[in-house]
Amino acid sequence: MNALTRATAATTALAALLALSACSSKAKDGDDDGRTAGGVKTGEGISGKTINLGVLTDMTGVYATLGKSVTQAQQLYVDKTNKDGGICGHKLKLTVRDHGYDPQKAVAAYTELEPKVLGFAQFIGSPFVAAVKQRIDADKALVLPQAWSANLLGSPYVRVIGSTYDLETINAIDFLMKEKGLKKGDKLGHVYFEGDYGESALKGSEYMAEEAGLTVVEQKIKPTDNDMTAQVSALKKAGVKAVVISAGPRQAASLVGVAAAGRFDVPVIGNNSAFAPQLLATQSGPALQKNYYVASPTLPIGAETAAAEKLVADYKKAHPKDSLDNGVVAGWTAASVFGEALKKACEDKDLTRDGVDKALLTLDGFDSGFGVTQDFTDPKAPSSKESVILQPDKKATGGMKVVREPQAAKAAQGYSADQSPSGD
Amino acid sequence: MTTFTELLLNGLSMGSVYALIALGFVVIFRATEVVNFAHASLLLAGGYITASLHDDLGFWPALLVGIAGAAVVGAAVEFLVMRRYRGTDHSVLAIVTIGVDILLTTELTRRLGTDVLPLGDPWGDDVLTVGPISLAHTRIAAFAAAALLITVFLLAFRYTSWGVAMRAAAESPETAALMGVRLGRVSLGAWAVAGALAAVAALFLTVFPTPGLERATSLAALKAFPAAILGGLDSTTGALVGGLVVGVTESLATGYQSELTFLGRGLGDLAPYLVMTVILLIRPAGLFGTKELARV
Amino acid sequence: MSDIRRTCVRAAAAVVLLALPFYLDRFWLQAGLFAMAAAIGAIGINLLTGATGQLSMGHAFFLAIGAYGYCVLAGDGGDGLTGLGLPTWLAAALAVALAGLAGGLFSPIAGRLRGAYLGIATLALIFIGQHVLFNAHDLTGGSNGRDVPPLNLFGLTFDESETVVAAVPFGSAEKLWYAGLVLLLACGLFARGVLRGRPGRAMNAIRDHRVAAGVIGVPVARYRAGVFVLSSMYAGLAGVLLALVFQRTVPDYFGMTLSLEYLAMIVIGGLGSVSGAVAGAALVSLLPQLLTRYSDALPLVSAPGTGGISPGEASRYLYGAAVVAVVLFLPGGLVRLTARRRGPTPDTPDDPATSVTPRTPRTPGTPGETA
Repeated sequence: MNALTRATAATTALAALLALSACSSKAKDGDDDGRTAGGVKTGEGISGKTINLGVLTDMTGVYATLGKSVTQAQQLYVDKTNKDGGICGHKLKLTVRDHGYDPQKAVAAYTELEPKVLGFAQFIGSPFVAAVKQRIDADKALVLPQAWSANLLGSPYVRVIGSTYDLETINAIDFLMKEKGLKKGDKLGHVYFEGDYGESALKGSEYMAEEAGLTVVEQKIKPTDNDMTAQVSALKKAGVKAVVISAGPRQAASLVGVAAAGRFDVPVIGNNSAFAPQLLATQSGPALQKNYYVASPTLPIGAETAAAEKLVADYKKAHPKDSLDNGVVAGWTAASVFGEALKKACEDKDLTRDGVDKALLTLDGFDSGFGVTQDFTDPKAPSSKESVILQPDKKATGGMKVVREPQAAKAAQGYSADQSPSGD
Repeated sequence: MTTFTELLLNGLSMGSVYALIALGFVVIFRATEVVNFAHASLLLAGGYITASLHDDLGFWPALLVGIAGAAVVGAAVEFLVMRRYRGTDHSVLAIVTIGVDILLTTELTRRLGTDVLPLGDPWGDDVLTVGPISLAHTRIAAFAAAALLITVFLLAFRYTSWGVAMRAAAESPETAALMGVRLGRVSLGAWAVAGALAAVAALFLTVFPTPGLERATSLAALKAFPAAILGGLDSTTGALVGGLVVGVTESLATGYQSELTFLGRGLGDLAPYLVMTVILLIRPAGLFGTKELARV
Repeated sequence: MSDIRRTCVRAAAAVVLLALPFYLDRFWLQAGLFAMAAAIGAIGINLLTGATGQLSMGHAFFLAIGAYGYCVLAGDGGDGLTGLGLPTWLAAALAVALAGLAGGLFSPIAGRLRGAYLGIATLALIFIGQHVLFNAHDLTGGSNGRDVPPLNLFGLTFDESETVVAAVPFGSAEKLWYAGLVLLLACGLFARGVLRGRPGRAMNAIRDHRVAAGVIGVPVARYRAGVFVLSSMYAGLAGVLLALVFQRTVPDYFGMTLSLEYLAMIVIGGLGSVSGAVAGAALVSLLPQLLTRYSDALPLVSAPGTGGISPGEASRYLYGAAVVAVVLFLPGGLVRLTARRRGPTPDTPDDPATSVTPRTPRTPGTPGETA
């Protein structure tokens, strides 16, 4: 190919390009925001009589268990709401994207759904929320992450529901000190996941150690570590009097099992992600029921409240084969928070993204029926500082019973997530 | 000292399980010069079969079916895929095993879903306590089973006709073929043996203190890579030693992480690879591997 | 195919590629950018694994160096993390150089190892990389990663600030699209030059028979080290581009799966050829996106959580099967499809046919490369 042909080709290309772009559908042709239907202002994410909500979940990756329960519970909420006539005369519709805990897929899914939805009722994976945080702040679509990291606080568009991991850990240690004989001067073991979840929880135990005069013995693990023998040996050697575990259910089961088998008889408490009812059927089942506790932002699925019993019945009917775990509660709570914000926005005649964000900021006493009141007026704080302490119990629905009602430790009330500048 | 002994014993026991997996790599490598990245899925297949049958059959029959099943899967991969390859580039074949691994693992994890399946083993969470040291029965069983299997394997390798054929094929495939060794059968056998060993390893990776078989179990095969390499990919002794080195390194690096904080926490996964890198710098063919002889 | 016709086809392709940002929404542009970055990385690993026969499973490590290197060099330290505040174009160039340097540092190990040993030794890089990314908080931001400063070139900033071109608002995706095209074109042409020239023949000789290559006078060690460095630089550039598209780097991304994906790309596309790397990269990175987006309309594939095969799983089945099927039934990869139709052309020395089936048949292990 000679230079002349090249030049001709280039010129033709450029000409064609300009001609084509003239009829691009992306070209700006006036502002279509601020439509009004029936006196209610609507905007992005609402098509006809449907409110579209996005769900960015993980059903094939490391958080598959959580993702499945949360999504099914949210779908249940949507179906129920639609059956009752919808919100503001609109039906709700969830669009689900499974990112399999892959950052590229998560970011792609956000990009795909963002222009089509009013907000996101679920977003699993706090690193991915962080990855699109700048864009969330620009897009102003409300995002309810299924992650309880203090790093996510601070934006009016990303709202964490319930206490964050650091606060939960403070409450957990408070429980150990008040009811399990942990006292000033003792050593406390903390086994935690590498990453946001574990490190956020560690901040809580470090804070509590300072407040209460404890020494923390750290053991960092990876999600792929399933055998906690070496960790237990190390904690035993250090002479810890109690252990906090901020990891997955399998690690908790292994830790508790090994400790019990080695007659290392100390109480172990985990964050809400460190338990799954399936574990009660494994070798570690008996040990878990004896020596293991879980701190949770809400009452368990098996709570004796009307809302919980109704949810259990509905969920069992819709998904008879799936286990009832705390993901169901978390999903239901998040969906109803979104629903509540929509109802409020409807009252204010503003169903735009701005309107929903503002509506959520006025919710100061919301209770989804799981014992904890959520206050969304301050974007810098989680919606609650309380935690419930649960104990595994084979007989209870969802495998957990309450041993301490929702409360916030004194230390938790004085604590504010020391916002590291990297968070925003 | 107590802690050290406990960590060492646990490390040796885990190491013997890694050695079983690494031995599978080495067998396949010797027979076909292919690095089998699909090993993780063979392991998962064996574990899955055992886990899904133990309720109906009882543990021991289920385990036997699991071992046989993994052997069949291994042989099937050889027969359906590896044998059909017409080229000669072994790194292409290694990449093919990655493709096979993706297929098998996706199918198995889809079946497993979010479950954690116990394998129904007889040891439960019993613990042997001698003085201040305690060791789970499963760990002792793992060590005994691995030692037994490896001995049987090494004897078979040395004295049976299969072993002789296998060694001959590794030495010089053409000569072996001329002497009447059926190369296809040798490599089929190698894949089956590797599958069976992986199924046994799957058992000991999922019993107490681990809660059960789940989708991440197969990742343990990643620890057998450095084991096989640092021992020498074509050496059965190397696999054994490599497995033990990896097990002990991992256990000690985890147990003493508080003393090693200057390297960052959570070293357990990384330590075997660091040891491997150092060994490869000194001995590029691993501890017991055959040094490269070049003929043109 | 005549020259004229080929020119027309190329011109048409160029027009389409240049016009796309005016039509596609951000999702597709972003998907395209992921594919472009993947293509650059895949070209790099194809030089190493495809053309020179050095199996590398550590490609993701070098991508991470590029991505994080750029953030560290260009960051202004405003987020509390280490940042040198260099001009972004310089930071991008230096990040690529840094990846090359890392490849160079690894070459004493790489140079001593062969075949499978090298493959698994490079796996160590992934583990080391992940450990550093999670633990060196000041540099990497730990598990939450760090923000990527937008690229600024000749006064044009590749960020969200909208520039309107022909009535179409140009955000970061639209602007980066052109940067990506230019980079990919440059990378592709350079690699093709390498492969078609003397170095390419030397690399193929090393792959086909290392000892023989040494005997006929190819400086084997130098070439192997050189290719390792070059391939790392390609990975570094892919990392920089990915970082710019993501706008935030997170450590989870740079794991083993990513390395395996790159290997799958070059096998599917075609070992040892530039167009093969591009085709494979496009397929592997676009497939999951397509399946997810159109999951409702596809048979067999069902929405996540309803049981059945989810889009994520379906794409893994497809690309696993593609790797196996291509090697068994289409040696030479996807590029062979077009090459076969076109017939053998004398002007393609990087014809992958030569790369996958060396002319001399060699039964496993015979010529004693390994004893």
